Amino acid sequence: MSTVDLAKQPVQENKSEPKPSKWLDAYHDPVASLYTFTQCITLSDIQADGDWKLIIADLGSGSTNMKLKVYKGTDLISENTIIDLPTGVVTFYMDTHEPRTPAIAVASGPFIYIYKNLRPYFKFTLPPLEVNSMEEDLWNQVKEGRINVYVLREMLEGMRTDGTTLTVRSLRYLQLTDAGDMIQFCEVYKNSPLKRQTVITSLNTLKKSMSEDDAISCLVLGTEDKSIYVLDPEAFTVLATMNLPSVPVFLSVTGMFDVEYRIVVACRNGCIYTLKRGVEDISKNCIELSSQIVGMERLNKTIYVACMDQTLKCFTSKGKKMWTVKLPKSITTIEVVDYKPRGFKAILVALSSAEVHVYKEKYLVDIIKTDDIVTAMRFGRFGREDGTLVMCTSSGGLLIKILKRSASFEEKDMSGGPPASQNVKLNVPKKTKLFVDQALRERENGVTMHRTFQRDLYLLRLNTARQYAKALSNSMNPISTDPSEPLKLSAQIQGIGPTFKLTVNLQNTSLSQASTKLHITFDYDDKLYNFRRTYIPVPMLVPGLNYAFETYIECLNDKGVSDTVKVYVLRENKSVPIITGVISMPVSETLVVV
Amino acid sequence: MGFLSRLASLFGFKKNEANILVVGLDNSGKSTILNFLKQGDKNVPVDTVPTIGLNVEKMKAANIEITAFDMSGQGRYRPLWEQYYKECQGIIFVVDSSDKLRVVVARDELERMMKHPDLERRNVPVLFFANKMDKRDAVSSVKVSTLMGLNEVIHNKNWHIVASNAINGDGIDEGITWLADVMKSNMATKK
Repeated sequence: MSTVDLAKQPVQENKSEPKPSKWLDAYHDPVASLYTFTQCITLSDIQADGDWKLIIADLGSGSTNMKLKVYKGTDLISENTIIDLPTGVVTFYMDTHEPRTPAIAVASGPFIYIYKNLRPYFKFTLPPLEVNSMEEDLWNQVKEGRINVYVLREMLEGMRTDGTTLTVRSLRYLQLTDAGDMIQFCEVYKNSPLKRQTVITSLNTLKKSMSEDDAISCLVLGTEDKSIYVLDPEAFTVLATMNLPSVPVFLSVTGMFDVEYRIVVACRNGCIYTLKRGVEDISKNCIELSSQIVGMERLNKTIYVACMDQTLKCFTSKGKKMWTVKLPKSITTIEVVDYKPRGFKAILVALSSAEVHVYKEKYLVDIIKTDDIVTAMRFGRFGREDGTLVMCTSSGGLLIKILKRSASFEEKDMSGGPPASQNVKLNVPKKTKLFVDQALRERENGVTMHRTFQRDLYLLRLNTARQYAKALSNSMNPISTDPSEPLKLSAQIQGIGPTFKLTVNLQNTSLSQASTKLHITFDYDDKLYNFRRTYIPVPMLVPGLNYAFETYIECLNDKGVSDTVKVYVLRENKSVPIITGVISMPVSETLVVV
Repeated sequence: MGFLSRLASLFGFKKNEANILVVGLDNSGKSTILNFLKQGDKNVPVDTVPTIGLNVEKMKAANIEITAFDMSGQGRYRPLWEQYYKECQGIIFVVDSSDKLRVVVARDELERMMKHPDLERRNVPVLFFANKMDKRDAVSSVKVSTLMGLNEVIHNKNWHIVASNAINGDGIDEGITWLADVMKSNMATKK
């Protein structure tokens, strides 16, 4: 597994000259007023004339003006009003009649609306769920006038805080605050039977028993009550129901219902579950993610997941994580590209920076820049063109791009990693006989060699320690070890000879205690050197200050001989010096008489 | 004259013979146009099937024997077009005027064709058919010419655009006559 952080490494392509785009701008309408998501766009040959149409469930304002729109090329050919917010649009073949026209299914609230030949054909309602008996009892009591609206409200409130799932009616009722409104609400609804219905969150198709492109397909729906339903396309009965630990939000389906199928479900709890035919325990095949899922696509046996933490993750169908790519901005939606004529497979990732990144495996191969943030996109056949990318933007624009015939996406790693030069083989010379012999010897006598080395190392350490101890006992070191006389000594020699200047610096390193009654004297070879002052009385040393004492030294020898000179700092009436400095004298230049 | 025509035949074409290349996107009506040309006025509409590879048709127009290479427009056969660039004396480019979405694809193919080394320096006349004028959502030939950017894309060649309807033959003869005339004058200047 590897993680590539694009946020930290800006894409290098920006620096190079702009390449010709790989996409042709077929159509751009910035004011198409289409507000939708990827799940609500599909491309299909709904009139069986080889001219594929674009089908969009327009969310309108979110509460009004919701429409199912069908585009032929760039022209709107059909518009159907949808009553509730659409959550998914798919097309599927529900019969074997000729010509082979697929039906459009729109998921909206607890219903699925089926359109054939662009006309409403059927409405499927999800089976109602069981109503909590206590809640039903409460509403019955209201009907009979045994409790008033306040008691009802209090009781329902209590049930909600206990974690009971209430019906839509009760939830709506709890939103009311005005007494008049509550009474009116009860009057209007108390006589109709209480029903609990769920809401469809995601919609997909699953081939029934044949794998052909125009074979009959079942509808697969995920609902808010944490279930997956598989519907029979002809009778519209529930063929299978599966329960999940959380609410499904994205579905990816492969296989055939009658043979073997696999439904990969991304849930609102940030987990991805895989449902298979005949497998009851779904917790075994679970991918847990660290962040919420904003999109999930599947390409053959790999699952691509876009997360809210700006990452695109790739998993095998068995749930093993392959890689993660960190994107520079948050992801709005993802879409898969499976362009068969060219064998090109990729993942499109729309970002909030108004860009669409094209990933081939984990490599960024192209960037499409748009005017606005893309919220929905679909790649596929549109009209008569196979490689068409339809995008809807957050401000309602519609963009259609066509992949160029000449476009080639190089799998160039634009995002760091080891440089190519790392793979170049070095010209390593051949092993010599000496090297081989040495290696052999090392292999055979490894233990002895190690022991010898260890013994020498210990001897060295011991020697060092001895010398150190000796230096301490003789006060041969320039820093005083005596706590009562904390002194620091440093000395330097200036000049080239034969006369040198020796500067001795003394510092009292104690915090408050002054040092008194100190003297400096020198130890030297009087045949070699002559000190102008051999004794320097030291005044009182104030803590912290640096005192400099100077003397001149003459070198008496002109043969280029040098010796060491010792500086002693002594205290009155004490024979052992407090500190000692050893100065090795430089070789003196001979006195040149001009 | 006799010497010159012999010379011309040495270079591979006789006095009144020409090869033309018919290209365009799939479903733009290339084969239908050629069907119409072949049958002349006694036009019987036939169901045309998508061309695989290419078809070769021979016909006579404006005193020239024309060999037309009807290329398939499907994406997977488009790389085949360039094999015939060298030996053609005229090009017919058919555009579906009702398919606004794919005009940009046609333009891309035209740009690629014009940049091809076999065509770049030759003065080959290019005739555009803005076809399918009978369709309700078809745009005018002028609009097609601007959408295709013909003025920018073609620099050193004669070109002409004709609105056409291959089903009843509107505009086809006009276009072919123009192409034949230009090819004839080109041949004359070569001699």
